[in-house]
Amino acid sequence: MNVDRIIEKRASEKLVRILELALFDANLWLGKPLFFPLAEELLPSELEPLLGKFHIQGALVSHWDAVRLSAQDGNQALMAASKILPKFVYTVWTGLPTTPREQGPLPGFGPSDPLVRGVRLFPQTHHFQLAPWVVGELCTWCVEHNLPLFLWHVEIRWDDVHAIALAFPRLHIVIETQWQKILYHVRDLLSLLKTCPNVLVESSNFIGQDHITQLVRSFGAERLIFGSFLPVNDPYAAIGMILDADISPQEKALIAGGNLRRLVEEVRT
Amino acid sequence: MSSPFIVDAHVHTGFPGMFYSPEVDARSLLLRMDRLGIQYAVNLGSMRNLLGGSLAEMEKAQAEHEESEGRLFFCGFYDPHQGREDLAVLKRAVRLSGFRGIKIHPSFTKVPADDARYNAVWKFAKDHDVPIVSHTWSVSTYNPVQALSTPDKFEGHVKRYACVRFILAHSGGRGTGRLEAIRLAKTYPNVYMDFGGDIYCRRYFETMAQEDILDRVMFGSDFPWIDARSHLTRVYLADIPAASKRAILRDTAVKVYGLE
Repeated sequence: MNVDRIIEKRASEKLVRILELALFDANLWLGKPLFFPLAEELLPSELEPLLGKFHIQGALVSHWDAVRLSAQDGNQALMAASKILPKFVYTVWTGLPTTPREQGPLPGFGPSDPLVRGVRLFPQTHHFQLAPWVVGELCTWCVEHNLPLFLWHVEIRWDDVHAIALAFPRLHIVIETQWQKILYHVRDLLSLLKTCPNVLVESSNFIGQDHITQLVRSFGAERLIFGSFLPVNDPYAAIGMILDADISPQEKALIAGGNLRRLVEEVRT
Repeated sequence: MSSPFIVDAHVHTGFPGMFYSPEVDARSLLLRMDRLGIQYAVNLGSMRNLLGGSLAEMEKAQAEHEESEGRLFFCGFYDPHQGREDLAVLKRAVRLSGFRGIKIHPSFTKVPADDARYNAVWKFAKDHDVPIVSHTWSVSTYNPVQALSTPDKFEGHVKRYACVRFILAHSGGRGTGRLEAIRLAKTYPNVYMDFGGDIYCRRYFETMAQEDILDRVMFGSDFPWIDARSHLTRVYLADIPAASKRAILRDTAVKVYGLE
């Protein structure tokens, strides 16, 4: 068989296997991307065809305005987009400490927005400590609503996450692997997973060799959730890592979508 | 299973120190290549070699080339701070059967890519008909030394040594350096690039096709930093013809590094 035929055959086989994964994406961003000047802006109206192109059945979307402007601007943009979001697409709001009470839409006060399925904090960008005495009330609110807490690894100190995870054992904390390589922090990350069973990892830049296999063998497939980092990244990078990992089909299905679906379903809106 | 055909044009060996990697040596790399259908790999330098040219490291790489039955090729290294010593090593290494090129790393050695101290290695590459491959990246707010390796800084040497095949490793990075890499490849027929590392930019291949430079692009994993599987699926499923995928996965690297 010539090489072109082999390539076409492998591509077809991969597509079939990707469909079987039933992907649910934890890391998709609306708005104009920050840090990546060549990346294109993703509009809410473009979501449905984009998800379809990559066989992603559902997603959590966030908004770049939360980083570029403010938590409130990001949340407002998500509220505006929510009217036209496709089915099975939910939002991740950005939070701030509950003291002082600030203007604008923020998580932590009263019932959450019906589409919210997660809260993200940017302690470094928004200038606050990721410590129980600062974000404890918000963490308690997240636990009450069963909302997972998302954190970019570039925004945290590992000691702080460790302290929060121990202080709130019922809080699901998802360490996100963007927007720089998490590779240089994997020693810390794996130790955190070992000591804190409520910590999970998002997969879009979890690309060290055999890292997925090792995480699954050491801590279980329940600790990893698929993220594409669309529209900055080609989602087939993160998908390929799951698709070709040396783990069982059941474990791949959990990582690709099963774990996140469970988290989404458990949220009390 | 069909015979392996892929070329991984960007690997390293040795303990990286700064991060965790479960496998770092040539033997592990070979087993991984077998699993992923990779026929050849080009070692752009062991971690030890990146500290400066070393004949011992070249001889070790040659031994790995022979033990792998010709599947693991390797490059020498040139640090302008010790140019005379490194050229002496390269003069010996170029006679080894697995030697296929010279790596430079302006960010690592902290000598900008347009510095005249690189003239000697470009002349060496010309005289011995071997390619030069360099780390390239975009200007970075959190890693300022990357400014020493932006693609535009290589243009003077690329132009002056038009017969030297030059590879922009990492395609100029994830920022505006990639635009410079594209411009260089479009302007100079001796310029190529690999997408080793976490260059997972959406529409990367489709953009290169639009710019008509897909035949200058090579697959590279950056082992032991990165798992090759993060790149292979996206090549297979890119919106480009199968023949272009073949060029990315094999043909261009075979030609540029003279692997067959």
